[in-house]
Amino acid sequence: MSELLVVQDLTVTFPTTRGPVDVVRGVSFAVGRDETVGIVGESGSGKSMTSLAIMGLLPKGATTRGSIRLNGTELLGRPDRELRRLRGDQMSMIFQDPLSSLNPYYTVGLQIEEMYRAHRGGTRKAAREVAIRALGHVGLPEPERRVDYYPHQFSGGQRQRVMIAMALVCEPALLIADEPTTALDVTVQAQILRLLAGLQRESGTGLVFITHDLAVISSIATRVLVMRRGEQVEYGTAEQIFAEPEHEYTRMLLESIPRIDDSLDDPPHGSLIGSPDDEVIL
Amino acid sequence: MTLLRAESLTKRFVSRGPLGARAEFTAVDQVSFEVQLGETLAVVGESGSGKSTTARMIAKLMDPTAGTLEFDGEDVTHAKGAALARFRANVQVVFQDPFSSLNPRHTVERILMAPLVYQGIAPKGSRREHAKELMERVGLNPDHSLRYPAQFSGGQAQRIGIARALAVNPKLVICDEAVSALDVSVQAQVIELLRRLQRESGFSYVFIAHDLAVVRQIAHRVAVMSKGRIVEIGPARQVFDDPQDEYTRTLLAAIPRIDPEWDRRRRERS
Amino acid sequence: MTRYVIGRLAGVVVILFLVCLFTFVLFFTLQPDPAVMICGKTCTPERIDQIRDVLGLNQPFLTQFFGFLGGIFAGRDYGEGANLVHCAAPCLGYSFQTNQSVMDMVVERLPVSATVAIGAAVLWLIVGIAAGLLSAVKEGTWWDRTAMGLALGGSSIPNYVLALALQYVLVVQLQVLPFPQAVAFSDDPVVWFQSYLMPWIVLATGYACLYARLTRANVIDTLAENFMRTARSKGLSPALTMRRHALRPALTPIATIFGMDFAALLGGALITETVFGLNGVGKMAADSIAKNDQPVIMAVTLLAAFFVVVGNLVVDLVYTRLDPRVRITTP
Ligand SMILES: Nc1ncnc2c1ncn2[C@@H]1O[C@H](COP(=O)(O)OP(=O)(O)OP(=O)(O)O)[C@@H](O)[C@H]1O
Ligand SMILES: Nc1ncnc2c1ncn2[C@@H]1O[C@H](COP(=O)(O)OP(=O)(O)OP(=O)(O)O)[C@@H](O)[C@H]1O
Ligand SMILES: [Mg+2]
Ligand SMILES: [Mg+2]
Repeated sequence: MSELLVVQDLTVTFPTTRGPVDVVRGVSFAVGRDETVGIVGESGSGKSMTSLAIMGLLPKGATTRGSIRLNGTELLGRPDRELRRLRGDQMSMIFQDPLSSLNPYYTVGLQIEEMYRAHRGGTRKAAREVAIRALGHVGLPEPERRVDYYPHQFSGGQRQRVMIAMALVCEPALLIADEPTTALDVTVQAQILRLLAGLQRESGTGLVFITHDLAVISSIATRVLVMRRGEQVEYGTAEQIFAEPEHEYTRMLLESIPRIDDSLDDPPHGSLIGSPDDEVIL
Repeated sequence: MTLLRAESLTKRFVSRGPLGARAEFTAVDQVSFEVQLGETLAVVGESGSGKSTTARMIAKLMDPTAGTLEFDGEDVTHAKGAALARFRANVQVVFQDPFSSLNPRHTVERILMAPLVYQGIAPKGSRREHAKELMERVGLNPDHSLRYPAQFSGGQAQRIGIARALAVNPKLVICDEAVSALDVSVQAQVIELLRRLQRESGFSYVFIAHDLAVVRQIAHRVAVMSKGRIVEIGPARQVFDDPQDEYTRTLLAAIPRIDPEWDRRRRERS
Repeated sequence: MTRYVIGRLAGVVVILFLVCLFTFVLFFTLQPDPAVMICGKTCTPERIDQIRDVLGLNQPFLTQFFGFLGGIFAGRDYGEGANLVHCAAPCLGYSFQTNQSVMDMVVERLPVSATVAIGAAVLWLIVGIAAGLLSAVKEGTWWDRTAMGLALGGSSIPNYVLALALQYVLVVQLQVLPFPQAVAFSDDPVVWFQSYLMPWIVLATGYACLYARLTRANVIDTLAENFMRTARSKGLSPALTMRRHALRPALTPIATIFGMDFAALLGGALITETVFGLNGVGKMAADSIAKNDQPVIMAVTLLAAFFVVVGNLVVDLVYTRLDPRVRITTP
């Protein structure tokens, strides 16, 4: 398998009032063409920061070390002007928070069209057709009409699907999906997962899939990266991670999955990871 | 005792196309259900099926196009003034995104004291104490009462939202995807918290979620929505174990599961 | 939507009525007797009584009040017999001082105030927004700090100080501008422009400083929004990202504030007009207050209230166009 994305020893540092803090420390993994790599880990473990580092979209002030290579070319340290040409076209990202990631002032159609036209050009009319088709693919009803809706006219799950449609519109080589199905019911989630699989088959897209739903990871990922407090806890094939986890933390994570056969009468389960009073790193 | 009764609630949205063409869309179509005191009614269903719209209508954050809403035996469909204030003191909402519903410029203490002030619940001098007590009840360290929301993690922020909802001693708490954005372990904590609070104070929940495993842990009854209608409603056990509706069956079948073979191997190792 | 507009218009009428009533009550109870003022020094009780009679001041409050309202909508007559004067609608009465029709005075002076307001608004919008925008983009740099320091200082200079200083420097010392004169644009565009330039600058300074700070704060907040990150993730050019995604959300609230500020200015810029001797509504207000010229004071109060209330309505209607989230979507 030829690797599409290779991340080596990635460290992301934030300056804080109490000195620099590494929110990601020495993370290494790789994604092959048409492969899916899952990233799991507790809240605040640095999953989102890792993906933002790949996209070159870290918040102001953050610094990165290590190496991120896409198709063999190094991304770290490249000027924004060059990264811009890759963003949206070669690599795109579905952001974690779909509610605030769309601009409330423009129709979703325009927000999809502008991305397509930035890379593929063409008329507005052509781009609009593309947008309508993209909205249809993610299972939105009446896409011809919905294309002219503003974000607030969609439900939470529909907005999330608009974000997904947008990220896919240029059929990127690398797609980073940061918790892309948190607002979706399981039938629509399954539809989205099929859509992503189809895209991988057709255009060989490499997928980084971040989620806290381990069952989803187990069904789509070939390799899994487990993160905790900015560090890489475990990295291996899905089978290895799920059947023979090496690390205590991974085992705990797997134990804490709620199961559909639990009901109200059963005691709550899973060992709780981290207490409510854990200090938040600032 | 019936706490809340929704009767044929309907919500239609009007939108205008680019050429000014008027289009109507029925988001919630004649939905009827009841919530008993001390019970949790979970609402699950397709994305875009009208769950949040229903929640907003029963919280009176949005007026229904048609239908009636009864709370505690009183018709509150068109409640205004004092009746509405009374309703608001009894019904609280917790939303999906904890951060956007908390004022980032206010300390937790201030956030928790605000509803006490509006409702005139605790006397002035004891409000601060009351806020600390609330923090303790939801498992937050009361010493952190002067922190701002951004200084908490997502799970902790969601607890602040819950604490604020509890400040006025409501009878009904509506949770719209309140745990969806939290990771599994934090989710488990918050669910346990909600269950404990229900045991202690005996109030009701309308709990909207799409994670059926979570629903199973918290719901007494479940309503399944699809395309603006409730297609099935009944005791949780019945809906999960013996679904009557086609859509419910599809939903249950689509739940992703970890490869049982992997699971077995892991269990054997440990 | 139509229903909403009609409802709001009814609200406007009610508010203007209340302003009328309130101002009238104020004059009725507080002011010194206008008849005494008009009569001047050499005055007899008979003369005062005669004046009171002509002005209708002897009549009960409600009769006077509705007489005034009637004048606005239907016109009214003053005096009787040979002394009868008809004042056509909309009638705001006659100045106690000059006997001129107040309506004529308003019509004559409103264009001056409008010129002052429009010119100043253009100036402060361009300068304020540009400065604020630049500061936001260069947040934390020396430019940002200098500009914001100036803005903070600038907004605290009183207008009359600025006006006098400007006159002293530009007219007296450097002599680059003539002293402001009342010249029509059609007569001499150059002198017209030179005359209005200083009032514009004076009036615009405070607002420009305020708008620069508002713009900066709004743009910085918008740049931190998640949707800006989305825009950058699409690979759009920085110019498009800024223009489309940041400016519209950041400037929309400013548009509404602008509407209110501008409307208030149309009611007259009291100090600036007085200092520069411009015959606008503001100077008219200042003069009438100094001389206790009741009909004129009534008129300027009403006019200011009218602009503010209508401005408010326009702002709300425009806002539903600017922000899709507040468009009315329920049947
Ligand atoms: N601007 C910032 N300055 C300092 N620290 C930050 C900043 N933004 C985020 N962090 C910290 O970086 C860490 C990693 O955050 P990240 O968003 O990557 O977590 P995550 O794994 O995506 O968690 P979640 O599952 O909750 O989304 C967190 O501990 C967070 O507090
Ligand atoms: N302001 C609005 N204007 C027009 N349509 C709207 C508006 N708000 C919601 N809708 C539509 O109403 C339907 C129901 O939305 P609602 O938010 O209730 O769904 P939901 O069941 O909560 O879905 P999800 O699980 O995705 O959050 C959706 O199809 C949505 O597009
Ligand atoms: Mg994240
Ligand atoms: Mg919803």
